Parts: sequence; C-alpha cells; structure tokens
Amino acid sequence: MLGQMSLHCGVKGIRRVKPVPTVTIDGCKVEVEKGATILDAAKKAGIWIPTLCYHPAVSNDASCRICMVELDRGDWRQLVTACNYPVRRDIVVYVSSERAKQARRGVMELLLARAPESQELKALAEHMGVIETRYPNVTESQRNCILCGLCVRVCEEIIGRAAIGFAGRGVERTIAAPFRQPSEDCIGCGACAAICPVGTIKVRVHEDQQEVEISPFKSRAKLLVCERCGAPLVSTQVSEQVLDKVKIDCEEFRERLRLCPKCRRSQTATRLEAATANKENSERAVSWHPNL
Amino acid sequence: MAKDNKLIEQIVNRYDGDVGMLIPMMQDLQAECGYLPADHLRSLAKRIKLPLSRLYAVATFYASFRLLPKGAHEVTLCVGTVCYLKGAGKISEAICREFRVEPGGTTRDRLFTFQAVNCMGACAVAPVMLVDGKYYESVTPTSAVEILHGLYPDEDTVEKETEA
Amino acid sequence: MTEHGNKQLISREDLERVREKLLEQRNSSTKSVCVCIGPGCAARGSNRLYELFCEAVEQSGVKAEVKAKGVGCHGLCEYGPIVLVQPGDIFYQRVEEPDVPEIFRETILGGRVVERLLYQDPVTGKKARSPNDIPFYKAQERIALAYNGLIDPTSIEDYIAAGGYTALPKALTTMSPEDIIAEVERAGLRGRGGGGFPTARKWRSCRKAEHFPKYVICNGDEGDPGAFMDRAIMEGNPHAVIEGLIIGAYAIGSSQGYIYVRNEYPLSVERLKVAIEQAREWGLLGEVILGNSFSFDIRINRGGGAFVCGESTALMASLEGRPGEPRAKYIHTVESGLRGKPTNLNNVETWANIPAIINRGGEWFASIGTERSKGTKVFSLVGKVVNTGLVEVPMGITLRQVINEIGGGIRDGKRFKAVQTGGPSGGCIPSEHLDARVDFDELTKLGSMMGSGGMIVMDEDTCMIRVAKYFTDFLQKESCGKCTPCREGLAQMLHILERIAKGEGEVGDVEKLEELAGLLEGTALCALGKTAANPVISTIRYFRDEYDAHILDRRCPAKECRGLFRYEIDPDACKGCGICLKNCPADAITGENKVPHVIDQEKCTLCGTCWDKCPFTAVLKV
Repeated sequence: MLGQMSLHCGVKGIRRVKPVPTVTIDGCKVEVEKGATILDAAKKAGIWIPTLCYHPAVSNDASCRICMVELDRGDWRQLVTACNYPVRRDIVVYVSSERAKQARRGVMELLLARAPESQELKALAEHMGVIETRYPNVTESQRNCILCGLCVRVCEEIIGRAAIGFAGRGVERTIAAPFRQPSEDCIGCGACAAICPVGTIKVRVHEDQQEVEISPFKSRAKLLVCERCGAPLVSTQVSEQVLDKVKIDCEEFRERLRLCPKCRRSQTATRLEAATANKENSERAVSWHPNL
Repeated sequence: MAKDNKLIEQIVNRYDGDVGMLIPMMQDLQAECGYLPADHLRSLAKRIKLPLSRLYAVATFYASFRLLPKGAHEVTLCVGTVCYLKGAGKISEAICREFRVEPGGTTRDRLFTFQAVNCMGACAVAPVMLVDGKYYESVTPTSAVEILHGLYPDEDTVEKETEA
Repeated sequence: MTEHGNKQLISREDLERVREKLLEQRNSSTKSVCVCIGPGCAARGSNRLYELFCEAVEQSGVKAEVKAKGVGCHGLCEYGPIVLVQPGDIFYQRVEEPDVPEIFRETILGGRVVERLLYQDPVTGKKARSPNDIPFYKAQERIALAYNGLIDPTSIEDYIAAGGYTALPKALTTMSPEDIIAEVERAGLRGRGGGGFPTARKWRSCRKAEHFPKYVICNGDEGDPGAFMDRAIMEGNPHAVIEGLIIGAYAIGSSQGYIYVRNEYPLSVERLKVAIEQAREWGLLGEVILGNSFSFDIRINRGGGAFVCGESTALMASLEGRPGEPRAKYIHTVESGLRGKPTNLNNVETWANIPAIINRGGEWFASIGTERSKGTKVFSLVGKVVNTGLVEVPMGITLRQVINEIGGGIRDGKRFKAVQTGGPSGGCIPSEHLDARVDFDELTKLGSMMGSGGMIVMDEDTCMIRVAKYFTDFLQKESCGKCTPCREGLAQMLHILERIAKGEGEVGDVEKLEELAGLLEGTALCALGKTAANPVISTIRYFRDEYDAHILDRRCPAKECRGLFRYEIDPDACKGCGICLKNCPADAITGENKVPHVIDQEKCTLCGTCWDKCPFTAVLKV
C-alpha cells in the first residue's frame, strides 16, 4: 500500500485521497461520506433532483434515468444518474445546467407517453417544467407502468416473497407474476401498491369474497375481516406474519387483532364502563395489554 | 411427479447446485423436455432456493427459451396483401377449423405450430404456405388442409409442391 | 487422443521436445488436403467433401503419406467450398463432389494442378495457383487468422506443430506478470470487440484490484448481424483463444476463466470444449501449469439468446444466472465485476492476438497499423461486393482498398452507395469518405465506429431509410428494456421511421429523430442504448436528401419502399407478350397482343410481380 503511494507520488504527483470528499453541486459545497451518492449530496445541499425508481428502502438500479445531472470531467461534462453515482473524491456537479435539464425533461416526455393516465407522473412532470409530451403512446404492453421495478424490489427485498418479477425483454417488458397467473406467493400486503410512484398498482378489496386483490397482477389473498362488523382489515397472511414476529401468546391480544379499529374502540369503551360499574362490586381490574 | 424431480435433481447435481449456472440448467431442462414445463420450473426453483419469479424472468428474457411446447412442424401462411386478395383469409379459416388451432398457436396433438405472417415476398405465386421451410405455392383451402394432413406420420397424401 | 501418449507436459522442455517430434513426423513429404469446413463452405456441402477425401485416402492406402483435414474458415467464402493442397499451397475454389477424385488423382498423387478449379481473376482473367497470387489475400495480413485454414482445429498437435503454445511457456517461465502487461502495452493492443479500450490498461487495473478471486472472461457473444469473425476464430483456431486466456490470467492473477459463447454457435461451443479438454490432458490447464505454481481452468457458458449479452455487465449478469441486464459502470468491472469481484473481459479476437504479441514482441505488433490503432483487424466483408468473406487487414488500410482491391468492387455492375461498419452501434459511410483509413478513431470521426468488424456494403438500390429502420427494429427487439430512453426512445424512433417509410412522414420528423438520438446518447444506461441511434444519425447526416424525398415528396429514390415508387411499363421495351398481364393478381394491366401494355395505377397493389416476371425488363421502377 505504502509502496503504491510512493509510486503515485513519484509518477503523478501527490494524490491525496480524502476520506470525506467534497461535492460542489450547483456551486454549493457539501461534504459527504466516501461512497455516498450525488443524490445524497444534493439532499444535504437542499437541491431537489427528481427521482422515480429510487427509494431509500430498497436497492437501486438507476433504470428510470430521470435524475440525470452533469458531472464535470475537466474538458467535458458527463451525464450521470445522481441516485447511484458514488462519490469517491472531490467532484463538481451541475443539476440546473441546460443540458442536464434538457436530459431530464426528455426522459420525462418519454415516460409521459408511456404512462398517460398517471396523475402522480403528471404532477412530477409539472414540477420539472414539463407540461406535455410530444410523443404518442406507441407501446401496447402494460400501459401506465413505467417499469421502475420498485414493486419487484420491495416484494423481494423487504417482504421476502418475490411474488412478482420482470417478464419479457425490451418494449415487451412487463411486471408480472410467474406465468402471468395470480401469484401463489403473494400475501396481499399491498407494499407494491404503496411504493408504486405512478399509482398504477392498486389494492382492491372484494368484501363479498373476503379477498384482497392486487391489480393488475390479479393476485388474490384471503382477507381478515372484523369479527364484529365485517369491515376488511388486512390479509390473513400479513396478520399471521405479524403475530409470528411479535410472538405474544396472549389470547386477549389475538382477539383485539381480529377487530377493526372502530370496533376495538367501541369494545374498550364498553369494558371501561363495565369496569367503572364493577369497581364498587369487585376489586378485580380488567387487564389488558398496555399497548392496546 | 417423482420422475420430474429426478430429472431436476440430475440437472442440479450436474452443476453442483450453483445458482450461477441457472441458464445452463434451464437449457438442459429444455433440451430434455422440448420446452420449459411450468411444474419443472417450480421444482427447480424450490430445489435451488430461488424465487419462481426469477426463473420466469430468465425464461422470458432469453429468446431461446420456450414456455409452450412447439409443434413437430412449423407452418407459416402468408396473409400479406396479395395472398389475402387471392384468398389467404379463407385458407387460414380452413386450417383453424380443421385442426382446431389459432394463428400463433400449436395444435393440441403438437403436430404443428401455425403462424400467419405479413408478406413472405413470394407474391408471384400467391397464396403461399411454408411448411418446415418448404414453399407451397398457389394453395387453396382444400390443398392446404391436404398438405397438412400429410404431416401425420404414415399418411399417404399427394402433395403439390414447388421450391421457391 | 494425444499422439505422444497420456503424459502430461511438466515443463517447457517437455513441450519443446514434443513439438520437435511432431515436426519430424510431419516432414515436408507428407501431403495434406485441407478442406474448409467453416460456416460458409459447410453451407455449400464441404463436410461431405471432407468425408469423400477421407474415403479416398483410405481406399488408396496412402494413409502414411497423405492426410485429409477439415480446417477452419479461410476467408474467401464467396468462392467456397475451398480446398487447399499442401505442399505447394494450391488453392482450389468452388469445389464440388465430382471434383474430388480428380483432385486426389491429379494433385495429391500426381503433383499436377487442376487448372479449371483454380481461382480466376474476374477482371484480368489471370489464374492464381496459391492464395498469395489472389488479390483478395495479397492485401491481407493475418495474425488472428494466421492458422485458419492450415490446421485442423480439433487437433492440438496441429496447433503445436504450427508453432502454437510457444508463447505460453515463454510467458510462464521467462516473464513476470508485469513483463507480460508491459509487452501488451508496447503492442498498443486495443479491444477488438467494439470498445477499442487499451487492453494493457484494462489488465493492469484488474491486476491492481485488491480482491480475490479474479476472473477473466472471453466474450464470444458475437451478435452483430453480418459478423462472423469470432466464430471463425473459435471454430478455426480455438487454441489461440485458450492460449491467450491462460497468458492473460497469469498476468492478472486469475485462476478461473469463462468463455461465453452465444447460443446460436453450437459448433463453436463444441470446438472449444474439445480444445479445453485437450489442453487439460496436456497439463496446459489445471493445477500446476508447465512447472509454474500458477493454476487456471476455463468453463464454457452458452448464451440464452440475447444480443445485449455482448455488453460486458450484461454478460456477467447472465453468468450469475440472471436476465442479461447491463448495470452502471461508474465502478468498472475490473474493480467489481462478476459476483462483485475484479473481472477482466476481452473479445475473442483480442485474446487470439496475445500469443503472437508474446512470441514476436509488442514492438513488432506496433509496427503495423496507425499511430493510435495498432496491429490488424478481422472484418467480415459482406453485402454487395464481389468477394464476400472474412479478411484480416492492417489498421490504416483505406475503405476503398478493402472494398475494391480485396472485395473486388460492387457486384452486378452497380454503384457503391455506403458501407455500414460497426453493426447496429455503427453508421453508414458514403462514397466521399472511401479514402478514409480504417482505424478506431477515423471511423468514429465519420459518425460510425469500428465495432466488432462487420462491414456491410450497400449499392445504389439500397434505401437508407430502410437501413435505418432495420437496425432500429433490431435494437428495439434486443433492448433489455431496463432504462427508459432505450426502451421508449427506440420505440418512438421506430414509429417515426415506419411512418416515413410508409409515406406518412411529417415535417419535423427528422428533427425529432435527432432529438431522440441525442437523448439516447446522453441518458441511456449502457453502450447498446448510447449508440443505438448511430444508424439513424449517420443516414441523416449523409443521406438527408433521401429523408426529405420520403417525407416531402412521398418518394423513395432507391425504389425499395413499397408505395413510394411506381411501376410503369416502358412502351419502347415492351413487346406485348402478356406475361405480366396474366400474372397480375390485381388485374391492373391491360393490353392487346404485341401492343405495349399499360398498368392501371389505381388498381396496382405494388406487389412487383410484373417486374419480377417481365422477360424484357420492360417494367420500370419509377
């Protein structure tokens, strides 16, 4: 290691590698940890860069290309994605340069053509200064999906089920459950719907069948309904997973989980009344779990 | 089912269970079965502890993988402008009716896979049908059906063929 | 199996001893008939020719003196099947089965030449006896293809007798890893797969990386339509690739190599497998190689059918059992590649050059070529030239020399229009640049690129919009679909090109294409996407008039786009024979017997049947 450094000194002049590199972003200097991304630096500097396929909870592919910024390379500037460019030494970045803005807007126009009905996308576009797209919708498969892959990654990395994945290649690429059949592994938690940045994935509750459906994948899961009023609660599998993880072996607790919040409050109110009434008659306190 | 698992076991052991060799495993499976049967893929996924969605992603990404069995023969009917003008539509209907198959699909007995394509460039001898690379010219609904019946092994049929 | 028995080669001396013995055995009195069984000749039945020659040798009982060999692609595919007879380097072309007995009797046994099977120059009429007398070969300089056509690719003995596995012992016993990298640096070798990145720099970076294990990969995923250089090397001289890999692995510090061969090349896989097994048998792969504590082995992986897997990170994803999606290269693969470990990937042809560089020195290699592009390059010269095939030429040769001297000019007396280099990532170069020197930087300056070496020659009947459309369609189908600009951008570009080709182009379409091209170049994730618009942009640059004709006049000047030109009957040439009338599927032709016929443009469906059938070439494309 030392030998290499002295070689560097001899041949190229002293090249000190700082442990805490500085990012000059649109003129603003911030220090970040080595290995942090340009996006991290931008957040620290308070500079907004649009993102779609990036989410702090899951891994990152930089596939949507909406976060392009310009990186100063001396005699030229390179367009790079802010969300995954690793800062390893002092760099200079331009977010608001014409070229960077044009690049981001161009990508947004393509996305608007792909997902014409997404309100969330339109809102983001407006924020970026893109009112409309000049391009027609030319792809027939999976309209309104921008193929960011967040749903796939959250299902695999956070939920651990990998119920959906990418299928096909190129313009025919879609997100699908294996064999385009309702997934056997889906637990109906709705994480995919929650993370979808364009509002294409939706959780539909079918009360009559006591099922929750994740559209457009057609995957269904059994729904737990309130024992008292029948209001939909959560998928049974999610409920079981929670119980499994929390490991509370108290029947009272389990009973509570089978009620909807409204009924739970109502039940608590009834028990409080009963307890007050019983106070004169009995010293026995109603015990319940402190967290309910 | 047991036989399926034996095949999967064989394939997985051939590569020491190395998940990096997933593509060769699937290539071997397809070489054995002619395509990638869904159940085999499920078994394979379980055996090497990969999510089924990953195997499906790989199977649909690479062009050489087939998820549906292909017919023993490949039949392509041209439905381009000229062939259509000369009755290719009726020929297509006749084939679909007789063999109970849709364009793009395979007959149930896997005798042939039927494709309808737009202009093979042999307009001078329209309507044109291609069977396993051989050109049949000026076909009619009757002659087309006859030619395809001839694909059944041991059937004696008179074929009218020309190589384009 | 091995001629020398099953003994492994323990040292460099062992190898030299074996080589001497082989050369003794193969003295000059041994005659051989080498039948090319490369892809072009095989398609014309040369495998059968090889069988017939083997039978002839058997039957005439001269097995001791005569050898029949199946050899790899010699290059002049247009004139295949090719048969070479040694000694004397006698070159026979377009050999057919009935010729076999004559060749055997006259040339092999009798030492006489069969004149009618010799190559004859179409212009001068002169007959050539050997490849050196043929213009196609004279201008070539063969390094990577040096042994193609001379050795049996399934015989390691042939390779060793011809001088193969001389570089490996030299490298392992007399050079250090740094010495080897320095030699490659002196040679100035740049990647032959398309990127043109300095090879020594890549090796050095990988060598410096501080994680183990390290991997070396040979990229045999040759996917450019029209390119078959790597195939010829893998099938014609697989040991050259293996020898290069072993040397590279030693220099870098890797003990595991992969050769990734595209799915559509099963014969390449077969040949490489045989070669690897032989190398293992002889101790050139495995635990302790030639007395050096260096151990290395190679695994072959077949692709699954995806052009994008030619991209290095996509290839590595494929080797990890994933879909072949490229990833960002902000951290280079030499630092973190296959399974996150330092990985050095090079193309087949790059690896095949290494033994020669080690044997003859980097300075020798650098004496060939131009200032920044050293050595030679194998090109597949295809399309509308007279001599189609594989050629290996020194960098710096002009396009004109390649197309005219070597290629023999445009066939059928047509005019040259453009040459597409670099496959789908490259561009079309028009006639005004024919004197450009072929090298990495020159071609890039002209809006194209060297690419992997495909050279598709086009003539005056080629519509450049259709060319642009063809490549865009190809790339759209092969795009992995991960990033927005490539997936959506190519779809949009194709949509515009289709409209233009149908006569539905609008003013502003060209500008839209240019804008999309700029977007792809700047924002696409990988090289496929970044260069995807090159075919479109280069055709706009040099053939803008064609775009304007299609869009503004609804006319296709090259008369290829259906609906953008008409068929008319030339009344002076028409003899009124009625053939067109009888064959017209739309009944659009009228005319009496012996009176010039007329096409009713309203009824005409533009199928071109009349144009096909007219025996007097009286139907014109207008």
